[in-house]
Amino acid sequence: MTLKRFFLAAAAIFVFLGLASSPAPAAVGCDLNDPDRDVPRLFPGATRYETLTLEIQKLGGDRLLGRIESRLRDKLRGLYETIDVPYTLYVIYRGEEKIGYIHGVTQKGRYGGIQIFLALDLDESIRTFYIQKISGPHAGRFRKPGFAEGFVSLSLADFERYEVATGQATGRVARIENPAPLAEQDFRFTLRGTKKNLILVNEFLKMSAQLAPKKGNASQ
Amino acid sequence: MMTKFQVACKNLMRKKTRSFLTLMGIALSAWVLVSLLGFNQGFEAALDRDIDNMGFQMMLMAKGCPYEAATMMLKGGTGLKYLPQSVAQDVLKEPEVEAITPMLMQTVFDPDKGENGGIAAYLGVDPASYGAMKTYLKFRQGGWFGQGDALEAVMGYEAAELEQREAGDLIFIPEKNLELRVVGVLERSGTQDDGTIFVPLRTLQRTFGRQGELTTIGIKVRKDADPGRIEEKLYELPDVQVVSLAQVKQTVMSLVSTAKALVLSIAIIAIVIAMVGVINTILMSVHERFQEIGILKTIGAMPGDIFQLIWMETLLLCAAGGMVGLGLSLILSRVTEWLVRSVLPFAPRGALVRIDLDLMLLSLGAISVIGLLSGLYPAWKAGRIRPLEAIRSEVGG
Repeated sequence: MTLKRFFLAAAAIFVFLGLASSPAPAAVGCDLNDPDRDVPRLFPGATRYETLTLEIQKLGGDRLLGRIESRLRDKLRGLYETIDVPYTLYVIYRGEEKIGYIHGVTQKGRYGGIQIFLALDLDESIRTFYIQKISGPHAGRFRKPGFAEGFVSLSLADFERYEVATGQATGRVARIENPAPLAEQDFRFTLRGTKKNLILVNEFLKMSAQLAPKKGNASQ
Repeated sequence: MMTKFQVACKNLMRKKTRSFLTLMGIALSAWVLVSLLGFNQGFEAALDRDIDNMGFQMMLMAKGCPYEAATMMLKGGTGLKYLPQSVAQDVLKEPEVEAITPMLMQTVFDPDKGENGGIAAYLGVDPASYGAMKTYLKFRQGGWFGQGDALEAVMGYEAAELEQREAGDLIFIPEKNLELRVVGVLERSGTQDDGTIFVPLRTLQRTFGRQGELTTIGIKVRKDADPGRIEEKLYELPDVQVVSLAQVKQTVMSLVSTAKALVLSIAIIAIVIAMVGVINTILMSVHERFQEIGILKTIGAMPGDIFQLIWMETLLLCAAGGMVGLGLSLILSRVTEWLVRSVLPFAPRGALVRIDLDLMLLSLGAISVIGLLSGLYPAWKAGRIRPLEAIRSEVGG
């Protein structure tokens, strides 16, 4: 066997073993790609964070799911918006003082999943709005700072009146401008994802007091 | 009148504890033996199954860094160099080749993925040949593309989950500004296909301006063909390199053979200990029944009768122990498998210990033969006992 072929075989074995032994992952949740970098960017002033992994099924099962759907005024539907999706709640600290939360959801979009992250103050109002991933010809416009600024300081109270089925908005939500009029569907999906996100955080905070978070460091 | 079989049973039952312990010794040896032989045939079958699940046993790609090439093919990624599609036809002409499947991997930069953008990868395949090779791929929704150049896509389970796609939804290829309709979502397969977005080969070639080019050709070799020979032949093609999964199998098997040799040694030691235990038990029994055997001889028992009687006892012990061992190996096959998995450097998916009827009969036969051999000496010794000498003795000779 030549040296080259040996390396070839070794490489194939390495990858083959890795593939064959890798466990099947659970349902996809929505995590920050690089929390140590993203947390201080989304939450200026944060010095550390802790994470909680939460599932509707484990926290309250069908009853909690029903309550979330009722507040959303829409069903959590499709193959992937299921009761057992694991969500990660980042609890944000400045020193020892808790200052807020970051939470993300994946919302079905026209061309792919839209990952919407909200950095929330302790009163659950939006401090930073961040789309981690979105697909489509107009995707870039939804990631522009101008669009994100429209969400700042909004809270669940503002979104309670937003109708996800029709896209009818009132009050401050109605003032959020669609950055890509040709991508109306993705605009509505973004608002639905934001409302779902706010409801989930609200419900999770009510129910997760007994869970122990895992520690992490936010690199400034 | 009692038969020799009944007498043998009765004799064994006289010393229940000793017979039971001997029987358990044989049973444990049989368990180790059967489990080892079951592992021997199960492991290779499981490894073959894993390799078969990959659909092809060889991959042909343009020359480049071997590590990158293997990784690209198995994990996904774009090729450094391309093969002309005509090579696929050349490969198919080889008599050792059963089937081929041409593939083209392409990637684009997606600026709207993560903070600094990310890479999206697409695998162009010919659904007829790819699906035929990867028969384990099952659809959760929909099916393969309608035509070879359709603007359609099939998504692996995890890719669809990440993108929240279902059959009928759209996906978008950034840079190329191309919409594709998802026509199928695969069930989870536990392979690299789970994270793949499949696009018709011609569609991908056209979209990326790579008409007539491939990154890889998956090759399925005929079962009776010599993989080494076809590999040599493929290396005669200009500027190609071959990754053979036969090499992978060979190396994995050589890794495992060390563990097998170790377990085989333990099994042989266990069998030898069990044999010595059987010889000891039967000799003790003959010794204790010295007078009794003498009396049997005085009332007309021939040396052959005594030999058969003692041999029968040995056979009974070994057969019963062997059957208990077989039962243990069946009941504890999951435990054995767990133990094997915990010590092996690599174990394929699926059952590692395969115990079938043939194996059970073979093992039982082997244990009985070993038992009979073990009983030869005690039976011969019992047959040679002199009646008068035995009757005169106190307890035994």
